[in-house]
Amino acid sequence: MKKEKTTIVVAGVLIGVIAAMLVFFGNPANMGFCIACFLRDTTGALGLHSAAAVQYIRPEIIGLVLGACIVSLITKEFRPRGGSAPVTRFVLGAFVMIGCLMFLGCPFRMILRLAGGDGNAIFGLVGFVAGILTGTFFLKKGYTLKRSYKMPKLEGGIFPVVQIVMLLLLVAAPAFIYFTEPDGGPGAKHAAILISLAAGVIVGILAQRTRLCMVGGIRDAVLFGEFKLLFGFVAILVSALIVNVILGYFHPGFAGQPIAHTDGLWNALGMYLAGFGCILLGGCPMRQLILSGEGNTDSVVTVLGLMAGAAFAHNFGLASSADGPTANGKIAVVIGIIVVAVIGVVNSRRKEA
Amino acid sequence: MMKYIATFYSHYGAIQYRKNCEKMDLEAVVMPVPRDLSSSCGTCVRFEAEGEFPERNEEVEQIVRIEDSGYVRIYHADEE
Repeated sequence: MKKEKTTIVVAGVLIGVIAAMLVFFGNPANMGFCIACFLRDTTGALGLHSAAAVQYIRPEIIGLVLGACIVSLITKEFRPRGGSAPVTRFVLGAFVMIGCLMFLGCPFRMILRLAGGDGNAIFGLVGFVAGILTGTFFLKKGYTLKRSYKMPKLEGGIFPVVQIVMLLLLVAAPAFIYFTEPDGGPGAKHAAILISLAAGVIVGILAQRTRLCMVGGIRDAVLFGEFKLLFGFVAILVSALIVNVILGYFHPGFAGQPIAHTDGLWNALGMYLAGFGCILLGGCPMRQLILSGEGNTDSVVTVLGLMAGAAFAHNFGLASSADGPTANGKIAVVIGIIVVAVIGVVNSRRKEA
Repeated sequence: MMKYIATFYSHYGAIQYRKNCEKMDLEAVVMPVPRDLSSSCGTCVRFEAEGEFPERNEEVEQIVRIEDSGYVRIYHADEE
């Protein structure tokens, strides 16, 4: 047990350093990693939304899935399974993304924004914790999406293979793949492909070994008084903060923070939706990618839901910008909270022995 | 008294199993699954029993006995 705690702290420290270094190598500020943003960029590159500023096939995503896949094959933990309420997971995934794009970042980027001195992320964190508490309330009430079942190897292998195809598309850059023009927005800011890919693979391996999860930490602390996963969360924050200070990337404040807005209420509500939805899904967006690599097809469907949510968010004008949230986005987040709550109620069973 | 850990396909399954343990007057706690047992981040039940323990339901993924040398697998759903 003690060893597990040390491992997760070491992994968290490494992940924090890698995330901060990715900004040094060219990723957008406070966005060494952001699963929501990167899935959104990839969705855009495929032409599923047409926000020209955020289109790029992010190798970090590919690396996370492949890293987790390779290590789970080695440790014989690659076990294809699925069939646990896929459509519900798709819908939850879509709304989690809409919540993330209201805030402008997934839970992982929320930590990195905090580590960069972005005070707006404090509102995000408050909402996130509240969302997790709401979700664990349903867990205690008997919430379940029912069990998953064993699937054929091929079924679990499809998504990792798709990632290899994505890598080929990135390198070959055919005309039908969209890339943000140089200086055209966050999509144009990225580290070299090999650096991004290697960073993804390493973090994928670390996250698979430690089961690191941004919502899992707070959930386990609330449900079991078990703080192990939470230490990983804190380790990322501290190590990214230290590297940011060394590199001169630490700029404490609220106004003018990179790829962020200052609307505290909607920062909080966006992350409330994300935290709530992630608990009902059983893991944060990064964790869903790792599980996808391990052959969990329920997580694959969740990731597809996240991508669909990103497409909706940009096609319907739901995503926030540095200017703040949009009216459409506010409506979508409120609808999202209602939908997630209904999913929570409907899938919570009364006590039965 | 032997110590066991049961893992489940869902959090709900774990809660139900603990209740069944308590009905048999077995000491049982829910906790996160130890990493060496599973790469999933689910909930497990650790319980103590002399011989009999609750019948496994559909939700049970595996049951192991805790020994000084490590875990001894008693049941695994994937290997039935």
